[in-house]
Amino acid sequence: MMAGGVPTWEEVARDHGRFLYNVAYRLAGNDSDAQDLVQESLLRVRKGLERYQPGSLEGWLARIVTNVFLDEVRRRKRRPADALPDDPDWVLPPEPAADEVSTGFSDEVQAALATLPDEFRAAVVLCDVGDLPYDEIAESLGVPVGTVRSRIHRGRRLLRNALVGAGETA
Amino acid sequence: MNTYPAPDDRLSAYLDGELDTAEREAVDGYLAASPEWREERDEIAYAREALRGLPTHEAPSGFWEGILSPELTRARAKRTSRWPRIAAAATGVAVAAVVIASLVIPSPDRVTPSVPALNDSHAVRSSVSDEPVSHLATLSMVTPFRK
Repeated sequence: MMAGGVPTWEEVARDHGRFLYNVAYRLAGNDSDAQDLVQESLLRVRKGLERYQPGSLEGWLARIVTNVFLDEVRRRKRRPADALPDDPDWVLPPEPAADEVSTGFSDEVQAALATLPDEFRAAVVLCDVGDLPYDEIAESLGVPVGTVRSRIHRGRRLLRNALVGAGETA
Repeated sequence: MNTYPAPDDRLSAYLDGELDTAEREAVDGYLAASPEWREERDEIAYAREALRGLPTHEAPSGFWEGILSPELTRARAKRTSRWPRIAAAATGVAVAAVVIASLVIPSPDRVTPSVPALNDSHAVRSSVSDEPVSHLATLSMVTPFRK
């Protein structure tokens, strides 16, 4: 550990990488984009470690990867060639490979999560995967707590409808 | 007849423990009395638990080994620390170019005395000295000779 209890970049990757990757995957919906998100997040972690205040490290990491995700979403929206409708892997989870073991309901939940608008998905992932309190989510997303509350509620409602819809068509 | 507001985002905050005492008591009252609120609570709780119950998704084999390999770590450090040096070098080159340009390229003001000022003073002198040829200098008209 570095002085003052601040971990090194390698320690963050080694000890919290699994958490970071999971949040990235839930946001992106596929491994390829999740890997890009994690690598960019770790670069930001490296640059930001000097300013890191010891506290909830995983909360800090969840905020970083969510901001990387939202930056990437905005970048793709600005560039028509990379727009979301032309890039189905970004919106929809990939078809599982033949050798992948289906996890059943988890796949359905991930598919339903991928249908949420990006801001709603970021809010519910920070809450239910990152386990952040509303005030930290608000700080991460740069919106008031009331907006976070609304996005989480509407995101869960959309998720529930998508899951019910998927169950009916299955 | 009791009336209640339609279920709203207080329900998610209720499930997450994010309501203050007054709001929590209000939601408790709605849940006790309203089937509509209870149904909405169950649906939101279903989605919430579905997300919270997701297993941790693991990175593909070899991903972390690649991230943490000493060679890649060094290369990444080099890549991130290279930009300040490039920026400093570019600034140095720009400053040197400005200094050299200021030494090599003469500015119009460096020709002394100023030609227009000399011309004007000569015209004034000639106008008071009745010298006919110099008097014409103020016109400064250059006419080419014809063959």
